[in-house]
Amino acid sequence: MKKFLLSLLVIVSIFTANWVAAAADLEVNTPAISALKASMQARHSQLGPFYSSGAVGLTKDAFIAIKDATAVPLKDRGGFNSLVSAENADRTNLYKEIATANGHPEWQGDIQNTFAGRWIDKAQSGWFYQSGGGWVKK
Amino acid sequence: MLLRAIFACLLALAQNAFAVSTISISADTITNDNAVVRSANILVDLKAQTTYTIKAQHIQYDKLEARNANVFLDYRGKPTLTFDTDLKQSSDKAWAKAQMHCLVPANLMQEVWQCNDGKFTAERINLPFALEVTPQPKGFAANINLQSANFSDEAGLHAAEKLTGHLTVVAKQEGDTLHFNSALNWQSGEVFWQPLYFANGGHELQAAGSLKGDILTLDNATLKLDKVGDLKFSGQVDTKTFKIQKLNADLPNLNLAEAYPLLFKPFLGKTMLNNAELDGKAALNVSVVDSQIKTFKISLKDANIDDKNHKFAFYNVNADIPWSYDAATKVSFSYNNGQLLNMPLGRTNIGAEVNRYSLVSPSIELPILDGAFKLSDISAAYINDNWYWHLRAALTPVSMPDASRAFKLPTMQGKASAEIPLVTYSGGILTTDGEMVLNVFDGTATVSQLTMQNPLGDSPKLSADLVLRNLDMGSLTRTFSFGAIEGKLDGDVLGLELLNWKPVKMDAKLQSSPGNYLKKISQRAVENISSLGGAGAAAAVQRSVLRFFKEFNYEKMGLSCILRNNVCEMSGIESTPGGYVIVKGSGIPAITVLGYNQTVGWSELVDRIKRVIEGNTKLIVK
Repeated sequence: MKKFLLSLLVIVSIFTANWVAAAADLEVNTPAISALKASMQARHSQLGPFYSSGAVGLTKDAFIAIKDATAVPLKDRGGFNSLVSAENADRTNLYKEIATANGHPEWQGDIQNTFAGRWIDKAQSGWFYQSGGGWVKK
Repeated sequence: MLLRAIFACLLALAQNAFAVSTISISADTITNDNAVVRSANILVDLKAQTTYTIKAQHIQYDKLEARNANVFLDYRGKPTLTFDTDLKQSSDKAWAKAQMHCLVPANLMQEVWQCNDGKFTAERINLPFALEVTPQPKGFAANINLQSANFSDEAGLHAAEKLTGHLTVVAKQEGDTLHFNSALNWQSGEVFWQPLYFANGGHELQAAGSLKGDILTLDNATLKLDKVGDLKFSGQVDTKTFKIQKLNADLPNLNLAEAYPLLFKPFLGKTMLNNAELDGKAALNVSVVDSQIKTFKISLKDANIDDKNHKFAFYNVNADIPWSYDAATKVSFSYNNGQLLNMPLGRTNIGAEVNRYSLVSPSIELPILDGAFKLSDISAAYINDNWYWHLRAALTPVSMPDASRAFKLPTMQGKASAEIPLVTYSGGILTTDGEMVLNVFDGTATVSQLTMQNPLGDSPKLSADLVLRNLDMGSLTRTFSFGAIEGKLDGDVLGLELLNWKPVKMDAKLQSSPGNYLKKISQRAVENISSLGGAGAAAAVQRSVLRFFKEFNYEKMGLSCILRNNVCEMSGIESTPGGYVIVKGSGIPAITVLGYNQTVGWSELVDRIKRVIEGNTKLIVK
């Protein structure tokens, strides 16, 4: 009986441990993460008008993509392209850093998937996001 | 060939008075070499004067396809030719439309064909044009005018709006060589050609040369960029592989102020030079053989380079940088003054010898404030797209009051000097061997194990060990308006890591130096130290007692912080149940300052220190 209880305890503790480990802390904070968030925050005010005009939209894999560059005047297009690629570079690093900070670099893909849904939930109405094979206006 | 035969036949018919009013020829398929015409219909109307209507439902020629093609030849008045068709490359999905209206000259092979109302339109393309072509023996001369044209690729990366310009081409075939002379005049309109953006026209390109097989030879070409400069070039390129077989280019007078935003900045992306302001003149000369740069020469004349993020600036830059693949060259670079991370730089002359991908210089002196950075035994190499260098560095004494002003720090006394036997830079990381000793506050601050990653880049990283010994707390507390403490301070900040110049990791320990010296702490300093400990901290004396005494004796004081993940784990010189001792008093009245916050958020701690210093500053102002 004692042995049984002990093994039960071991099994329970293993499962609990796994259960705890499986929940990634998306709000985890490290200096690298806060630097990335600050950089994205600073860029957001510049990207805002492009989300609203439909020049850029949220992709289903948690990045942003140029939806309609012609909505951006030619003179701003170079800056617009660099903004989009800088944002995506930060996002890649963010997912990587959060996975690393959780002690599971291999979770990067799952974390990225979770963020994809979060970004779309947080998006303002009128912004575009990818759904199925095309763009949808929120 | 076949079409030509039909035409000849029709023309012959037109000139003979047949009693026929219309002739209609239909064909399901006409095949000739690479051309396939389906459902073709030719209608000749012979009433009064003659008109010819040629329709074809589908034409395939090589990789080009046309559908609904209409050609209308009208001999009733002045002969005219009108055609319109849908066009596309076989691999494309969408069709474009092309149309043109030409006056047919009496002498088809010698006189000018004038075509107006030309238009080429597709989903993102609208090119209205006018064309004049004069056939010449074995060639032609053409004038093309583009009027307010717009185009864009699908991604919007290559696009033009309201583009108006003029192109003339004279071409002549001689044997297997096509000779040409062309001039392009871009009059107005904006163009974005990722990553370049031209807001307006005023640019010209002239090129004369020949095309033989895949080899394009430019004997003489000039690109005039409005306000920027004139580039003269000649050379040879394989049009199939885009390999440059030969190139000589000369840009004798480049206006840096105009060239930087137009031509350089778009390519500088995330480099430290991407947000600068430049002016002055530059000259550039380059020669290429078999896709390999053989020689180049860059000269700068009275150039100013000013980083808009204020990380660096160099004024009155003069440079003479020749380079050769085959021979060693001497380069020189000088500036009058400037700043690097707010550190003023004095007049500097740099000379070095460059041998293909390596550089050596016996010594470089960079005057800084009243001292100088002396670099010696410098050698650098560019290997596999990366720079590697090492040198010996010494800082001759710099006055701390000047340095603190430059770094916008409270004025510190003393002098700083350093001797670094070896500085190496490899893989983007700068590493130092040896120590930098700063003589500050009558004590020493020693920096060792210093490494830096992209110090001028977006997220500079620095790591170092800092050891403080015997700093005079009297002048330290006066400098930072902390409330007076008499005594000496030791500090060990080990494994310090700064990201964006902000501490992110360290094991820091500050404490009174061992030994016998005057140890007094003022009432204000006691209060300030208590407030650093947070709400829970308290001076273990009653307020009433504090009020009676302006200063106290202490035996020992110390505070340490182990910083990880933005949280500082605090401790003092001794542990107490639930807390730690920051100041241990001696004599009567004995004062003990205790801290209870075992962990403090780093930003909270920084705020507390700021509040203490600012609070005291205000007090002094009163």
